[in-house]
Amino acid sequence: MLTFLFKKERQLETLIYHYIENLGLIQKHFSKAMNICLKEGASDDFSFCMDQAHKFESRADDYRDEINELMYSRALIPESREDIMALLERVDEIPRSFEQILNMIRTQKIAFPEFLVLDIHELLRISMESCDMMAKQIDVLIKKKEGIRALMSTIDQNESHCDHIERRIITKLFDSDLEPFLKLQLKEMVIVMGEISDQAERVSKMVNIMTMKRRV
Amino acid sequence: MLSLLGGIFLGWSLGANDASNAFGSAVSSRMVKFWTAGILASLFVVLGAILEGRAGIETLQGLTSLTLKMAVVSSVAAAVTVSLMTLLGLPVSTSQAVVGTILGIGFLNKQLNMAGLGKVVACWFGTPIGGLLIAILVYRLLAVLYNRSRIDMFESDILLRLALIVAGSYAAYTLGANNVANVTAVFVGAGQLSVFSASVLGGLSIALGILTFSRGVMETVGKKLVRLDPFSALVVVLAEGLTVHFYTWIGVPVSTSQAVIGAVLGVGIVKGINTVSRRTLTNILIGWMLTPAIASFVAVALYFIANLRFIIEP
Repeated sequence: MLTFLFKKERQLETLIYHYIENLGLIQKHFSKAMNICLKEGASDDFSFCMDQAHKFESRADDYRDEINELMYSRALIPESREDIMALLERVDEIPRSFEQILNMIRTQKIAFPEFLVLDIHELLRISMESCDMMAKQIDVLIKKKEGIRALMSTIDQNESHCDHIERRIITKLFDSDLEPFLKLQLKEMVIVMGEISDQAERVSKMVNIMTMKRRV
Repeated sequence: MLSLLGGIFLGWSLGANDASNAFGSAVSSRMVKFWTAGILASLFVVLGAILEGRAGIETLQGLTSLTLKMAVVSSVAAAVTVSLMTLLGLPVSTSQAVVGTILGIGFLNKQLNMAGLGKVVACWFGTPIGGLLIAILVYRLLAVLYNRSRIDMFESDILLRLALIVAGSYAAYTLGANNVANVTAVFVGAGQLSVFSASVLGGLSIALGILTFSRGVMETVGKKLVRLDPFSALVVVLAEGLTVHFYTWIGVPVSTSQAVIGAVLGVGIVKGINTVSRRTLTNILIGWMLTPAIASFVAVALYFIANLRFIIEP
């Protein structure tokens, strides 16, 4: 509808969807890299997935630049422009966390002790689920469909669950006989992992506010 | 032609000031480029003046009978009053200033159509109230449609922007139709212009004001409306247009700014928020009462000055 009239808006919509799809690809490669790392450590396969994640992360930056450029050329009404810019800025924190985790593993040569693997798997699985729901929520916002609050509530529950797992991992970590340096190193990593679901929740709340603002 | 300069100046200042009521929100928020808004507003002002300006012109010319000198004094006095009130920072209605000057001259003439005057004053009270009621109605109606619509975020943005352009053009049309009488009606009463040529000249002078001097006002005054969300701004512009159009059919020139203030208050009532500060309301009330009084006084003083030579001549 009205596509012929406002080309910029349509272009922008396409770019936002590309950005979200790209986010899914970063997430996919991050998950793969983490599964490999938890199974066999920082192997060549891990490096390949990490590089792929990095490649898609750079592409996300390009999409964001294009989106911002289009919005500065007066696509959308000012309120939507501000909202979308702020939203993407928040969403962008998530791939940044992915990259940070992968970089920590590679540069600090982190290996996960066996007794933490299951919990870390669980933490990552729930965090990835939150990211999927967050992407779905953005789609619901754009398409103006129902279900934003239900998604927000699930993301909120997931975040609490992740907090719980994060605390459990840190407790286990400090109860173990690992070297203090390793404990601190792993603790830092777990905190960054926990940040993923926190950030997904922040985005989710923002999407909810944006929906409420748009309701007249 | 020289005698028409006062009217043209009045039309110019009206265009420069009041176009912001139609397109201020769209331009100051950068949803519409100034030149797009300016050209659309100018076109629709002229169109409104030509197609529906007659009724207002007939009402104003019927308030009293004027000679050409009186008509010139009246238009200059109205222009002086508008400038003076603007300098004092008080909200001013050109319609009230013009009626005030006609009133002043009418007193000197001892010829005043009290029934016509009563109708005009009643409409002054009705303008903000009308703006308020129509805004409430329009808001509720559009909100139901908007919330039920299945259009996506981008489509609703596109529609909102288009609607602001259409509503702004409509408001500009009603500005021309309603306010052209303020600019040239006195010259019709004085037999200087026909109703049609008064409509054309008035419309063109308002358009000149829009194209040459409304940019600053649109970009700053319009921001008062943008503090509202775009949907509310659309409702305000639409309600203002409808209110002013209603008074155009009745044939009474009213203030577009007062219609806007009424509409902004109406939106505030629907949303349960304070959209206009007490200070702004007080200023509006002061301006509302002072404008016709000052305009009458200025008209009488100018008419007295214009006739001084008859006293000093032997």
